[in-house]
Amino acid sequence: MTDFNELFIKYKDLITLAVYGTAIMLIIIGLYAVLLKKHLVKIVIGLSIIDAGIHLLFVAVGYIQNGTAPIFSPGYEQAANRMVDPVPQALVLTAIVIGFAVTALALSLVIRLYKHHHTANIDQIKSLKW
Amino acid sequence: MKKYIIFILIAILGWTLAQTFKAIPFGADRRGDLSNPNKVAAYYLRQSPETLQTANSITAIVVNFRGFDTLGEVTVLFLAATGLASILYRKEEEDKTEVERVSLPSSSLVRTGAKILFPLILLLGIYVFVHGHLTPGGGFQGGAIIATGFLLMLITYKHFETNHNVMVWLESLAGLAFVLVGLYGLFMYGSFLQNTKSVGTLNDLISGGLIPLIYIFIGIKVGTELTNILDILLKIKPGREQ
Amino acid sequence: MVISPVHYIVAPLLAAFAIPLLTKIYKDAARLVPGIVLLYNVIISFVLMHYISQNGMISEVIAGWKAPWGINLVLTPFTGFLATMVSVLGFIIWLYGFRFKRTLKGGVVKYYEILQMMMVAGSIGVIITGDLFNMFVFIEIVGITAYSLTAFYRERNGAEAGFKYLLIGSLASTFLLLAILIIYTQTGTLNMAQIAERMSFVPQSMKITALIFFLIALGIEAEMFPLNTWAPDAYEQAPSPTSATFAAVVSIAGIYALVRVLFTLFDVSGVHNYLIVMGFVTMLIAEIAAISQKNLKRMLAYSSIGQVGLVLIAFGIGSKLAVLGAIFLMLNHAVIKALLFMTGSYFIYNSDDKRLIGLNGMHKQLPYVSALFSLAAFAIIGFPPFSGFWSKFYILISASDQKMLYLIIGILLITIIELVYYLRAVGRIYFAKEEMKAVAHKPSSNALLAMSLLALFIIVIGIYPDIITGYLNDAAGALLDKAHYIQQILGSK
Repeated sequence: MTDFNELFIKYKDLITLAVYGTAIMLIIIGLYAVLLKKHLVKIVIGLSIIDAGIHLLFVAVGYIQNGTAPIFSPGYEQAANRMVDPVPQALVLTAIVIGFAVTALALSLVIRLYKHHHTANIDQIKSLKW
Repeated sequence: MKKYIIFILIAILGWTLAQTFKAIPFGADRRGDLSNPNKVAAYYLRQSPETLQTANSITAIVVNFRGFDTLGEVTVLFLAATGLASILYRKEEEDKTEVERVSLPSSSLVRTGAKILFPLILLLGIYVFVHGHLTPGGGFQGGAIIATGFLLMLITYKHFETNHNVMVWLESLAGLAFVLVGLYGLFMYGSFLQNTKSVGTLNDLISGGLIPLIYIFIGIKVGTELTNILDILLKIKPGREQ
Repeated sequence: MVISPVHYIVAPLLAAFAIPLLTKIYKDAARLVPGIVLLYNVIISFVLMHYISQNGMISEVIAGWKAPWGINLVLTPFTGFLATMVSVLGFIIWLYGFRFKRTLKGGVVKYYEILQMMMVAGSIGVIITGDLFNMFVFIEIVGITAYSLTAFYRERNGAEAGFKYLLIGSLASTFLLLAILIIYTQTGTLNMAQIAERMSFVPQSMKITALIFFLIALGIEAEMFPLNTWAPDAYEQAPSPTSATFAAVVSIAGIYALVRVLFTLFDVSGVHNYLIVMGFVTMLIAEIAAISQKNLKRMLAYSSIGQVGLVLIAFGIGSKLAVLGAIFLMLNHAVIKALLFMTGSYFIYNSDDKRLIGLNGMHKQLPYVSALFSLAAFAIIGFPPFSGFWSKFYILISASDQKMLYLIIGILLITIIELVYYLRAVGRIYFAKEEMKAVAHKPSSNALLAMSLLALFIIVIGIYPDIITGYLNDAAGALLDKAHYIQQILGSK
């Protein structure tokens, strides 16, 4: 049976590309939606996608090879040298909650806009152009 | 024209990010020296089991080392709920007329299932935030689970109402309790949010000093707040206004 | 010490969480409690400023973990001065708006007051925190309150402005998070003093990428060109006390964040020149836009952006005198622009026209308010007996010390543009022929008191600038002395 560690060393470049690539692609796709989509809800979804990409990037950066979750379970009290960096995970927790708050607020604004203008198309809401 | 400029800008950003993160090797150990920490990661990994006796070091960071961030985070959520209410306040609220929630009729299968699942979901949420210092999870996760339980009830039963008064009291008291626990540290030990000296032993249910207590308050606050947000959003009248 | 900087944040938070309960017991609690809290912040500001001037800077530890490990709040003469300024203005704006919202019914007042108070508290948090990620959290607190308040009135197009602000603000936080992540991977810490200490070991390419991300993110918060398209709409649509808060509190916090990151974290050469160029472009475009505005609040908004541009120029010059002038200008900008928004909103209430034409002949209806508006207009242009003169004077002197002749000419030319549109507004108030109309909304006594306090400040500082230059000098020194900042926070290991 091949150890995961060996696989990681063998395909390191590929795994790096997959993890970072996914995160960066998510950020780019989200930005594309925010800047070029016309529907208000799609723009808000774009914001969430950007957030997801950034959170993934944070967690990916904290990973160490052959690492485990930074939790000192019974029997593993001395396992600190194998644990991944806990700081980015704690920061991501904060960032997720903030992202959620902003999304909720954005959706409430979308509801207001829709009720007022009877459309969710950004082109038909004159004062939203810039 | 605008479209192409934006494409170019996004491409530049993507290229910059790719170049930057190519220089940050994936899986490399950046925590610093564990025995003599000079970076925060190593320091937290050492102090979390030693000084705080908290098994989940992420919880130790979120609630204690960087507890001020979490206070701010709870505030952001609270302000989002407040802002949401201020943006979507109903004119009817002033006339005190009842507004019914929009909901589709649900089958008896769904209704019975929801009734059975609801207490179990609440229990799971409470379990997650009570064990936040021992296992993955914590106040935010537990609170979110509790809110999903309420969401299930809100969309299944047209006449299910959360007791608004109880919600407001729980939310405010949980928030106040968090700040007061922080002030307890300030007055007893001279630093805001400082933990007690008696922290128990690693991996006990009652360990980590004030950390589980704070996470329970956070759990209650997040749960009630998210439920409030869902309640407001579900009560929006369909249709348009002038 | 009994009073610590933590009270700045804790008192408003306690109040914010308690207000929903207190309103159930006493209906006017939502109105009164924020005032008490903001007054408390003013008092502790002065106590702490006194303490700093006696004993040097404070680095308050949170949760008992010393500086690089935990979050710390730092009160240097610079941050202490800004925190004092923001608290005082927050309180005065509360005083101004105290009876202003009588027309609102039901629970909405509660939401408004909580959001308004937390916007001030969040701005103080941005200023006093010594931790990079904590700064992000406070910026988000300010952001969320600002988006909600922009969209507060249903009758206006607030939701559009709020949504636009939210989108741009979210992009700002995206870039801020990316920059923080890059910094964290390179230095392994989030404490700003320690980052500054370790910055010399960071590879140049990383440094520049992080710097650019910081500039984009904080440039949005500080209303720097070309990232300030949200500002005029938000200023225009928000309730008037909120517009005053945007100018007097939020923009100050934004400029502070930008300056703190550029001056303390980075030592890349060329940033200063970049600041001068961007500040100049910001100022030029904003003032040209201001002159073509027909709406009073929009005109004031563009004028605010112009002032921010001048502040950035002054920070970009970078000598101690210039930084002194920049901080002085931040103070003047906050006070004067708050007064302009306060008086301006009374003109808008009292005329059926929101445009500048609505100002015609206002001095007959509102003589006192008109006088205050004119005073503020002259002060912001920089006429000698008012405080605005001294800040511009210091900036021009420092520019001439650095032999930046073109810059001086440019600033003076832009001042002429400023002169034109402010004089046009004042001219409409006093000299335009208009029939006498009945006064629909008399300013309430508390609003008059708030406006008079600001006007008094403008005149007193204009005549005796020495009252404040000592503090400004300390503040400028504290910002520029990076080694002292690092040593004071990390030194006592």
